[in-house]
Amino acid sequence: MPGEGTESELAQRAAAGDRAAFAVLAERHYARVHALAWRWSGARGDAEDIAQETMVKMAGAIRSFRGDCAFSTWAYRIAYTTAVDYIRSRSRVIPFAPSKMQELAESTVRDLPEDAAMNEELWRAVRALPEQQRDAVLLVYGEDMSHADAATLMACSEKTVSWHLHEARKRLKISLEAAI
Amino acid sequence: MTEPDLTRLKDVPPPREQAKRAALAAAMAAFDDAEKKSGSATQGNDAPIRLRDASSRTEGKTQMRASQFNYGLAASIAALMIAAPAAFYLSKFNAPGGGNFATVSGKLTDAAPAPAPPREESKQDALAAVQAPAAPAPAQSSTGSLGTVRGRLGVLVPPQTSGPAGGGRVGSAANAPAAPAKPAKMARQMEAERFTSVPMPASAPLAKSKEAARAVANGLIMQAPQDAADMLPPLAEKEFRDQFDSKDVNPVKQVAQEPVSTFSIDVDTASYAFARRMINAGQLPPKDSVRVEEFINYFPYNYPQPESAEVPFKPTITVAPSPWNAHNRLVHVAVQGYALQSAQRPRANLVFLVDVSGSMSPEDRLPLVKNALRMLVDELKPEDTVALVTYASGSGVSLEPTKISDKGKIIAAIDVLGAGGSTAGAEGIQDAYRLAETHFDKGGVNRVILATDGDFNVGVTDQGELKGLIERKRDKGIFLSILGVGQGNHNDALMQTLAQNGNGTAAYVDTLNEARKVLVEEASSTLFPIARDVKIQVEWNPARVSEYRLIGYETRALRREDFNNDKVDAGDVGSSHRVTAIYEITPAGEKKLVDDLRYGRKAAEPAASGDSELGFFKLRYKLPKEDESKLISAPIGDAQAVEKLAAAPEDVRFSIAVAAFGQLLKGAPYRGKYGYDDVIALAKGAKGDDPLGYRAEFLNLARLAKTARP
Repeated sequence: MPGEGTESELAQRAAAGDRAAFAVLAERHYARVHALAWRWSGARGDAEDIAQETMVKMAGAIRSFRGDCAFSTWAYRIAYTTAVDYIRSRSRVIPFAPSKMQELAESTVRDLPEDAAMNEELWRAVRALPEQQRDAVLLVYGEDMSHADAATLMACSEKTVSWHLHEARKRLKISLEAAI
Repeated sequence: MTEPDLTRLKDVPPPREQAKRAALAAAMAAFDDAEKKSGSATQGNDAPIRLRDASSRTEGKTQMRASQFNYGLAASIAALMIAAPAAFYLSKFNAPGGGNFATVSGKLTDAAPAPAPPREESKQDALAAVQAPAAPAPAQSSTGSLGTVRGRLGVLVPPQTSGPAGGGRVGSAANAPAAPAKPAKMARQMEAERFTSVPMPASAPLAKSKEAARAVANGLIMQAPQDAADMLPPLAEKEFRDQFDSKDVNPVKQVAQEPVSTFSIDVDTASYAFARRMINAGQLPPKDSVRVEEFINYFPYNYPQPESAEVPFKPTITVAPSPWNAHNRLVHVAVQGYALQSAQRPRANLVFLVDVSGSMSPEDRLPLVKNALRMLVDELKPEDTVALVTYASGSGVSLEPTKISDKGKIIAAIDVLGAGGSTAGAEGIQDAYRLAETHFDKGGVNRVILATDGDFNVGVTDQGELKGLIERKRDKGIFLSILGVGQGNHNDALMQTLAQNGNGTAAYVDTLNEARKVLVEEASSTLFPIARDVKIQVEWNPARVSEYRLIGYETRALRREDFNNDKVDAGDVGSSHRVTAIYEITPAGEKKLVDDLRYGRKAAEPAASGDSELGFFKLRYKLPKEDESKLISAPIGDAQAVEKLAAAPEDVRFSIAVAAFGQLLKGAPYRGKYGYDDVIALAKGAKGDDPLGYRAEFLNLARLAKTARP
């Protein structure tokens, strides 16, 4: 059974073209990828899109996976970059005339009830942070990563991550206080 | 309130089974497809859809950032990821100097040489996977809330379809977030369309609505969060990230105590362009970003022209009633610079220093800069030279100084610019200066033009050091101009500082139309100075004026004694530039804002000749090649006064409307109940010819500002 292998064995086999092995890996990692996607995007629709895109990218790239790192790390990096790219590209198309906003607001499909919980003040404030502060907060607190891991993903130094966190906490405190 | 509990960020709802199945099905389809691809000797590179134009609107976004993956580091992290996060506060206060750190970007540049084989492979595989023509879309559209976007895989264009642009756009747009691919030709067409279809006037709103239409078509915003506040994450972000120097509004001054007002002229326009962008997005600009003088000086005015280049300025003064305070009057000082004729124009030795970091990839950044550069190249004369230096994680010379007569080569070099990597500006600056120096043209204009979104993670960490470098080069005759683009990273304060120290202008460019204004219509003023260190000093006559305040120019104030000191640097004026300064004065005897001092000196007796004079205007400037300043002066008297504002020239009225608008946005005091409607009414009556539509655009902006969110 392909499901019985260790993760690295599965990854090696998937990289060699073993379809079943990849299927197991994809199945195992979906929830985590999805959780990350939700943290960054804050809406079910976006989260599912990001997650799907991540899975597709993983499928396309698995053959070049060399096993130099854990599969989960590898998958994580794809998920993270996909989420950040997605949010950027989405934010790029947003600034336009207010008259258009109404139009769009009306065409928006309402989020599901649990989305409301996800969009409470804290999340809102976190997502309003500058990109790198947001990423640092979500990686360290949301994803429970160490500063070093977050630093590698964000392509900056650990000190920078700490600094972003420090700044982020300051801002969150201010914005959350203002919201009360 | 205590620190927010950030551990709550761990909790997210579980995925839905339906979506999971869809994603996994898509992944398996992609996996199968990648297998077919991996068997093919060409890696599928011949398929036209895979080619990309470097200037496509999704420039730099195609590659997965995963491709620059450091396996060595990652391995150790894998272990760390399991361990609990430690040493959390350890380095908390060891924050490094700069906050503008390179964004995460393992992006590869189009122009960059092919990276290590495995990466390239993975990149292409990934691409192939996402483009998979056969990828089904099972159950995706059944997830109601995401219908449009989720259909992504379903609407992909098969590679063999070289169909109409429309189809291609749908296909690539559906891909948009991370792995868009567009046939090169198609991308070029789109680019061309963008280029030509941005008409002269009011292109900002137009471009925006086009964008909106496109966005709707793409279904990208179908996911828009439920309320308007949520729709603006980039704006909320920019509040924090864009950096502006804040200066208090100029206060009302007592003529009896401080009769002389001195400032450096300012021909920058970045503040207005930036505010326009914000307002068009439905939000008021941050107050600190508003510099009223840049608003006023943004607009072309037809002020009387000076006769010759020897006396390159012609001041025109108008005194009119203040529209927002019945007791006061406005003194409108218009200074028109001499317009060099084409034949008089010196040769230009230009070095473009272009930021190609990852953050430059959005359409309104690098692609815009590239279009702007193409336009500028068209404007230059055959004997002018152009060089191109890029900077990102490293810097590189992408075009050695080349004469415009060899235009093909220059255009080709511009075309291949692509975004990727992080920003390290300083090396790039040094390279750019080096090129400018090696081709230094003694009789010409030597200038470095820096195009950046301002996320300027300068390798020289100290801004002062960078400033020093720019000043030294300026003294050698190489000037610096800055072309700011994008929003979110815009480091206005740094750009201003650098441009001012480099004897250059800082312009903020958000649309192609704006780029055209800065680089083509005003190319000669941007590039060819007619005077350096231009300062203005006005002395008020205490017998006639009790109080005054200068509207704007807060960041340009000089000390009184600096006026005659030729060592003190001030702003430069380019060919045909015009500068407007507006004072609000309270005539003697009118109700004052500030009480007289009980124990102060009585107002001086009017000078014998000064009865009819409100004040005296002086302007100092240096000709480009001279070190000694020259003086132009003119009295401000009753002869220049008009009874009613309506009797003032159109340009004067319009600029007053702009000044009022700027003050409104700045939240500046002293403007009574004067509101946006008054601004609109005043500007409307002073629209004039407006051949390029700037004034119409301004009116539109004032209307939008009424409803914009603070």
